[in-house]
Amino acid sequence: MPAVSLLVVIVAFACSPLLSGTPLQPFDVYNALQGFAQLGLPALAIGITMIAGEFDLSIVGTYALGGMLAVSTGVSSPALGVLAAVAAGAAIGAAQGALIARLRIPSMPVTLATYIALLGLTYAISGGLSKTYPNSDVTLWVDQTLAGIFSPRSLLTLAVFLIAAVVLGRTRLGRELRAIGGDRRASRVAGVGVDGLVIGLFTVSGTLAALGGALLSYSYASANPDPGLQPLILAAVAALLGGVSLAGGRGTPLGLLAGALSVALLAQIVAITALPDFTTQLLYAALLAVIVAIESPGLRALLDRFRASRADRPQTLS
Amino acid sequence: MTAVPVRSGISAVGLVVPLAGLAVLVGLAGTTHRFLSLDNARAILASTAFVGITAIGATLVMIAGSGVSLATSQTATVTAMFFLSTQQYGLVTAVTVAVLTGVALTALQGAVIGYWHANPIVLTIAAGFAIGGATTWFSGGTPVNPEVREFDVLNSTVLGLPVAVYVLLGVTVLAHLTLHRTTAGRQMYLVGSNRTAARAAGLPVGRVTVIAWAFFGACIALTGVFLASFNTSATVTLGGTLTLDAIAAVLVGGTAITGGRGSALQTLGGAVLIAVISDVLLLRGYSTGVQILVKGILVLAAVVAVHLRATRGRR
Amino acid sequence: MIQIDGLTRAFHGVPAVSGVSFTVGAGEIHGLCGHNGAGKSTVVKMLTGQLTPDSGRIVIGDEPVELRSRQAAQRAGVALVDQELSVVPALTVGENMLLGDIHAPLVNRRRAAYAHCRRVLDDMGLEGIDPDQPLSTLSIGEQQLIEIAKALSQRARLVILDEPTATLTDVESASVFAAIRRVAATGCSIIFVSHRLAEVLELCHSVTVLRDGRKIATTPTADLTVDALIVQMLGEPPFRLAAARKPDHDLAHALRISGLRVPGRLRDFSLTANAGRIYALAGQLGSGASDVLRAVAGLHPTAIGTVELHDRPVPVRDPVAAARHGVAFLSNDRKSEGLFLDRSVGWNLTATRLPFFARAGVLQPRRELVIARALAERSGLPEHRLGDPVAALSGGNQQKAFVGRCLGRDDVFALLLDEPTRGVDIGGRAAIHQLLRRAADAGLVVLFASTELDELLELGDVIVTMRDGQIVNRYDGDVDVDGVLLMRDMTRGIA
Repeated sequence: MPAVSLLVVIVAFACSPLLSGTPLQPFDVYNALQGFAQLGLPALAIGITMIAGEFDLSIVGTYALGGMLAVSTGVSSPALGVLAAVAAGAAIGAAQGALIARLRIPSMPVTLATYIALLGLTYAISGGLSKTYPNSDVTLWVDQTLAGIFSPRSLLTLAVFLIAAVVLGRTRLGRELRAIGGDRRASRVAGVGVDGLVIGLFTVSGTLAALGGALLSYSYASANPDPGLQPLILAAVAALLGGVSLAGGRGTPLGLLAGALSVALLAQIVAITALPDFTTQLLYAALLAVIVAIESPGLRALLDRFRASRADRPQTLS
Repeated sequence: MTAVPVRSGISAVGLVVPLAGLAVLVGLAGTTHRFLSLDNARAILASTAFVGITAIGATLVMIAGSGVSLATSQTATVTAMFFLSTQQYGLVTAVTVAVLTGVALTALQGAVIGYWHANPIVLTIAAGFAIGGATTWFSGGTPVNPEVREFDVLNSTVLGLPVAVYVLLGVTVLAHLTLHRTTAGRQMYLVGSNRTAARAAGLPVGRVTVIAWAFFGACIALTGVFLASFNTSATVTLGGTLTLDAIAAVLVGGTAITGGRGSALQTLGGAVLIAVISDVLLLRGYSTGVQILVKGILVLAAVVAVHLRATRGRR
Repeated sequence: MIQIDGLTRAFHGVPAVSGVSFTVGAGEIHGLCGHNGAGKSTVVKMLTGQLTPDSGRIVIGDEPVELRSRQAAQRAGVALVDQELSVVPALTVGENMLLGDIHAPLVNRRRAAYAHCRRVLDDMGLEGIDPDQPLSTLSIGEQQLIEIAKALSQRARLVILDEPTATLTDVESASVFAAIRRVAATGCSIIFVSHRLAEVLELCHSVTVLRDGRKIATTPTADLTVDALIVQMLGEPPFRLAAARKPDHDLAHALRISGLRVPGRLRDFSLTANAGRIYALAGQLGSGASDVLRAVAGLHPTAIGTVELHDRPVPVRDPVAAARHGVAFLSNDRKSEGLFLDRSVGWNLTATRLPFFARAGVLQPRRELVIARALAERSGLPEHRLGDPVAALSGGNQQKAFVGRCLGRDDVFALLLDEPTRGVDIGGRAAIHQLLRRAADAGLVVLFASTELDELLELGDVIVTMRDGQIVNRYDGDVDVDGVLLMRDMTRGIA
């Protein structure tokens, strides 16, 4: 699923000059990657919680708060701003994770409440207004063009994805994460330390979202106290296109990378070809409709029936 | 066998906490300048009405165990546009068109969820994009600004209260009666309480889900109608933060996101409580940020309390 | 070597296991048998750290061990293959084998892990399964094999297999046995818990039989036969004369099931049943008995076959349609698939008969109260408890509320019950049996599945024994039948 969707989008991207009439520039790729940098970290954050069968709505809250904290504390030292944002994100994530793991409470309403509270906190810090970031050196630095198509921001985002891919792919954390998402009861029986994993998971997702928000506000030279639900929904779409299931148990960081790139490229295609804005929305709707159809238990029952009738013949074993 | 009673009704702890909270609130409110005035009470009710109507509908969906919808704002917007663009056919027609639109769009989502067991979150995100995209497409992104203004009557006040408040009360009573006095309502509680058991017992899980979502759709449409009337025009962003505001009111009212518990009256209480607290904070000079922050904490407290009460004795 | 010495455990003062001792040598495969409630699973739970004994000792090797948790048991070298799967379909075969293994390294060494899993699978004769294959591509039986492979791969000194072959086909069982023998040959001790007595005799070196929480005997299998084992397990076998049961030749057929199949679970099942009689499906876990009931109730999405009730075809695979045609089904899992636990007794009793007290979709509370009271009386529940949440009732009363839901309805023609008295005390059991008998007398077809001999013999007018997804024998009301006969039908594995 992630490979297919990425491939389709890349082909569409390569074909977009047919519609726009102007050949593709490296700058178009740069722009797409900038879009990816904006979306990537929240997508990774929500994606890993979805792999584990949770759903962290609060990432938009940490995203906004992270941006606001970075802008407020990072005027003289941008690293300090990032640090403040990341520390806040980690602390909030850890507290939420502890609540969810210890009380065995569904994550969706908890993180929804946290989201609202964080939105309020961000508003309260900024007085409800956008806060500008006066250190223009930093703004120029994070978005400077590297090798024609990259920027420090997009490279950093890519690096985080690669780290996540290595950690989840090369250690037992990856399989344990998918195990608790796939079947939590069985994982407990098998001896997986579920509670610790859940707490760690939310800590990481809070951290990633806050980092994403901080980088974005440096790039925009301002922090927006209320980004709305849009970043969350796009992040979820990227995760779903990246092969993650809301039921949990499925997905990899590289899949999430493909999903986030797909969404970013789609947006860029619409921008290049000057299609009306709503086309993106309809495209997302169509893609999600495909996901709904694939994931619907009705279809799965049909598959099961097929598989079971095959397994009914014992000779398939030998 | 656990012989520990799991009471759904009143218990000591279950009462002490909310009562203490209420006492603090009453104390704060009573000592807040201008809180205890008729005008202020009216303002609170009026500000509750728009979100409240949708929240009542969302209560049925949540009780029936299909979680939440993330397409609420978009649906409200599209119904508002239908309402405004049919003004020339008269108020009744315009409202009917809006409500039917809301019911059709939302019940369709309910059918996919109820019969195909689709994931409500993915599905409603998809529906939100589809509805939002289509709205922008057909409206061309420009505000709908009708010349005929049949809707003015909806902005009027009767006995000092806006019409929307009466509609909120009406919808609440209707939802309450549906939940407690009809077959469909009872089945919503049963399906939400234990979906597997409902299926094994042969209850019509799909149909019940569709009915809950259809009711929700009608409520969203009514909110859309009032939003349109209030703003006298409709743009694609009209729905605003309705999606989450409605969910927040339902959760503060104590309805469990996992289904099977809650009531329309409680949601009305939740919506009013949020409005009262925001009002007290506002009158005491706190910023919007603090108001939202307190709302978030309130939702969190309600979610944790409901969860603890539901699982006490089973753990 | 494993030594179990005077193991004792009581629940609420009622002893479940008292003074059980036996020894399993290195490389020995030791059978553990007993009828339902004999205390097998309590012993298994104490050996795997899920229960702590009230008294008694467990010695592994030379040192006594205290097993306070699953993890502690795992560290002490005890691995369990449970009836309930602990594998995760979302992972690959290899990942499942390493999941929760305390010896598995934090950093994956892919090649080493693959080779390790490959070796274990080969040892079990599963050359056709690749460690990188997703578990979800395997059949349930194959998943069970992976569960066993997982225990074997974790270098245990004692492997306990609790009914590992219950849901397996013969070919699959054979590969499990081969694997168990190979593991035992390495010096590992094995405890094999099973109802399939022929299998026990074939595989094990000696067998310990429990009855009513006490050890009856430990006997080398060379000195045993299936019948001797059954006698050890049952003591006095429950016996029932034909005269006590009702013959059904002269009645019209109400329920016709023909060619019912559930891939992987039920091969081919046909039965004609009369109104007014009780039909007992006798079968152990995995025999297909409970799948018959689930399929007729529309709950098996993969079922194929025809079902007719009073000459009207009942569509399979659709639970709503089955209920509309007059099929009422009671699951064996009353907590998660039966009752609405946090709702009141009254609501549970009336859950499926809302139209009885509704006019044009509007409920009539007064009529509901009348009906709920009548039902409470009929099912033997105290009336003052109607408003209590059903979770607050005892197991027996919960089951009465569950059964009561289907009584006194003129639109129900067939009552299907899976383990109608699971987790119910003696008194409650008699009351429920009486309810079912009265339901049959009122003209319903009653069809139930059970593993308990007493229940099968006491309640069934016609007893159908099942094994491996098909019928073994049918005992009509005019045929003599006793516990040994049933047990033999139900327990003979591959031989």
